[in-house]
Amino acid sequence: MVPHQNSRKLGKIICSAMKIVKVGLSLIITVSLIYFLNRGWNFGVPIPPLGKFLDPFHGFWQNAETGKVKDHTLSIMGLKGEVTILYDSLLIPHIFASNDEDLYLAQGYVTARHRLWQMEFQTHAAAGRLSEIVGEVALDFDRGQRRIGMGMGAENSIKIMRKDPEIATVLTAYADGVNALINQLKYEQLPIEYKLMDYEPEHWTELKTGYFLMYMAKTLASSENDLEMTNALNLFGKETLDLLFPDREPVSDPIVDHPASWKFKAVSLDSIHANNEGGIATIQPLEKQPKGIGSNNWAIGGKKSSTGSPILSSDTHLGLTMPHIWFAVHLNAPGVNTMGSSFPGAPSVIIGFNDSIAWGPTNAQRDLVDWYKITFKDKSKSEYLSDGQWRPSRKVIEEISIKGKTDFYDTIVFTHQGPIPYDESYHSDKQNKHYAYRWIAHDGGNMLRTFFELNRANNHSDYMAALDHYYFPAQTFAFASVSGDIAIRIQGKYPVRRKDEGKFILDGSKTSTEWKTFIPFDQNVMIKNPERGFVSSTNQYPVDATYPYYVHASNWENYRNRRVNRVLTELTNITPQRMMELQNDNYNIQAEEYLPLLLEEIKSAALTKDEQTVIDLLANWNYVNDATSIAASYSEAWVEELQKAIWDEMLNGKTNLPIPSDYNTWWLLKNKPDLVFYDDQSTPEKEDRKAMIDVAFRKAFARIRDWEREHNKAVDWASFKDSNMRHLLRLEPFSVHATNGGNANALNASRGGWGPSWRMIVSLEKSGVKAWGVYPGGQSGNPGSPFYGNLMEAWEKAQPYRLKFVSERSQLSGSTLFITTLKPASK
Amino acid sequence: MKFLYQLIATVILSFLIQNFLPWWTMAIGSFAIGYYFGNKGFISFCAGFLGVGLLWLGMAMFIDVSTQSILTEKINRILPLNVFVLTTLIGGLVGGLAALTGSLLNSNE
Repeated sequence: MVPHQNSRKLGKIICSAMKIVKVGLSLIITVSLIYFLNRGWNFGVPIPPLGKFLDPFHGFWQNAETGKVKDHTLSIMGLKGEVTILYDSLLIPHIFASNDEDLYLAQGYVTARHRLWQMEFQTHAAAGRLSEIVGEVALDFDRGQRRIGMGMGAENSIKIMRKDPEIATVLTAYADGVNALINQLKYEQLPIEYKLMDYEPEHWTELKTGYFLMYMAKTLASSENDLEMTNALNLFGKETLDLLFPDREPVSDPIVDHPASWKFKAVSLDSIHANNEGGIATIQPLEKQPKGIGSNNWAIGGKKSSTGSPILSSDTHLGLTMPHIWFAVHLNAPGVNTMGSSFPGAPSVIIGFNDSIAWGPTNAQRDLVDWYKITFKDKSKSEYLSDGQWRPSRKVIEEISIKGKTDFYDTIVFTHQGPIPYDESYHSDKQNKHYAYRWIAHDGGNMLRTFFELNRANNHSDYMAALDHYYFPAQTFAFASVSGDIAIRIQGKYPVRRKDEGKFILDGSKTSTEWKTFIPFDQNVMIKNPERGFVSSTNQYPVDATYPYYVHASNWENYRNRRVNRVLTELTNITPQRMMELQNDNYNIQAEEYLPLLLEEIKSAALTKDEQTVIDLLANWNYVNDATSIAASYSEAWVEELQKAIWDEMLNGKTNLPIPSDYNTWWLLKNKPDLVFYDDQSTPEKEDRKAMIDVAFRKAFARIRDWEREHNKAVDWASFKDSNMRHLLRLEPFSVHATNGGNANALNASRGGWGPSWRMIVSLEKSGVKAWGVYPGGQSGNPGSPFYGNLMEAWEKAQPYRLKFVSERSQLSGSTLFITTLKPASK
Repeated sequence: MKFLYQLIATVILSFLIQNFLPWWTMAIGSFAIGYYFGNKGFISFCAGFLGVGLLWLGMAMFIDVSTQSILTEKINRILPLNVFVLTTLIGGLVGGLAALTGSLLNSNE
């Protein structure tokens, strides 16, 4: 072989080697880039899988909707017959099925179609599984959810419901419907949040419905301040405590005021000592629900209405999020024709009406949580003291998956009373004290039976029978019927309590301190067709003083009840439109009661000209918290500063202490001019009431001026309070801000992130039931849909839509957006 | 001219593939076209980049217009860069690199 041939060959080899290297390198870069863009990352901020997400053929672009949909037919496994779903102009589905199973399957399918991501996210939240989606930031929250026994409650409820064949069928059908939708989803159809956070929906289960009910139970029925009250008792003594936290504030108009009617023989228990267990608790409790969440409902009889028939108003106040907590739906099958709002995650209409009746709940407050101080034998916490004996505890290991991290294992100790949420590893008490958590929701219940029956109820006795199945979260159900009855009933499973029981931490070593028995349901607070011609409730103290059971809650409503009763007592010939106006009533009784005192006290203060202008503005204010009111903003800021100034002892100290109610704060301010709490703890001087009011005003004034400079406009009330319907992932671009009036203590209880969640008016006329409804948000959970926030404006103005309630589907022809037909799939 | 043909072929093939298959399959299309035309590396990259980039941009703009930008504005506020720019860049980069790989495989150098 000649040398140059060799070198040519070598050159060739080098060339092809170079080519391989080049191709290989280029290929590796391309494939790595694809890999990088095909999954989500977290570099301090989470980054979606950019390639997948931005691809206009499958990514987020596909979530943009025109809102126009053609009629279509889908095959669904497990369906017995054909189901027709007619969507009206608000995207409310009217579901017509030929049997119950198909009806609830279709409800599950349709709800998931519009709200799947929300359904899964909320039930994940309830189950303490958010870390799987958002990572370690949710770990503390997740542990908390598991440690208060959300799982135990969900499982117990499902166990009970599975034993009721009819409800078991409903639950299964609903889950089948949700799964039918999930199974059909292609990546491009996934809700945008899945694409953004890079995960996929899992199968729906009946237990998830159980978790959803626990989600509501936590919102509505976990309110308590036992630890804080115990600390306050230790620090201030019983006398001051009773002054700051009276059992019954001398003001409210109870839900049922009927002293002659409690003729039953009440269950009584031997009394126990008011407890003062174990001194100060230094735990950092989990985040509490905001004070004063609640609702309004009322029903007027035919004598008060313009139509001669009852009218019911239901206005539940809840946390306002995007997507919204309610989903409006119309369910029709043989034996049932009902419409109203439903929970994304649970079958049936929850607040609504049918051809014969209407119902609407408000939260019934009442203390349904107790804490027991537990004495463990040793550090292993395997045994604890109970009636002089060592009883074995139960330990459960929770496995928490965390996105991007290894799993976290959490051991939760249970006594027979309940779980021990706080221990050495969680929100630790420095003194290593342990408290067992007893919550009514741990017991479970068959509340779906209540709604199943209410959906089909024909009259007052059906309504009563339906409520007999309802355990928690305790609610005050207003009722009205076409046959002319109105009624109200507070329903829930209430332990029979001894005086002061449940206010403080109890001694867990004695079973005598535990819940012994429950108030028989027919002895719960209720009334039918009262003489005054209307019923109402707004989360106030429920009943007159002759009711034979001890009633306690960590807070009662003291303003809205007086306003609604004042107006309803005066009015006659009430139209549905007048009821809508009343739902949107911004009159602030609280301001009416405190402002004159504040203005009187500040009279002698040396004010600047600008400050004096504000005082004049307040002096001429009509106490209406309208959207455009400037005075309302100043009033609110002043009140907030004053609250902070009075209760600085509670707010700024190291010990967790309770805050007195708004009403009692004003009552004390008015009637106890020398209260020790007026002194500002951060100054050496001794402040009195006058000085405190003065300082609070100047702080409020400065705060508002700052706000005005920052926003470059006058401080109108709507902008100052900023009703923000935050997206569940707290993504600002997916959130919606409303411009409206309202106040926590006005009937239109709209403020920051809380407020009227489903406003419904039902006129129960013999010629046919008429109904109106609206909520802040929209039927679609998709931020890329025109139906995502389209109801917001009508909600702001409290002009609910007339609901298209019919009994035959042909009556909807001509007014439908589109029709979805579900057909049984031939296997 | 071969550049323009490669570009048009990339648009058409990627469009057909993308309608049915996941986003990254357009890289296979762009790669195959790149191989077939055998353009010089840089030219092939540009043709692939523009082919897929423009396809993605065009499709995104079509959706944006027909839905009256209902989602575009919201996503713009979530992502750090304008969403049209980002869509074009990401699609283009993957398409371009795939085309480069294809042309390199076909080169005789």
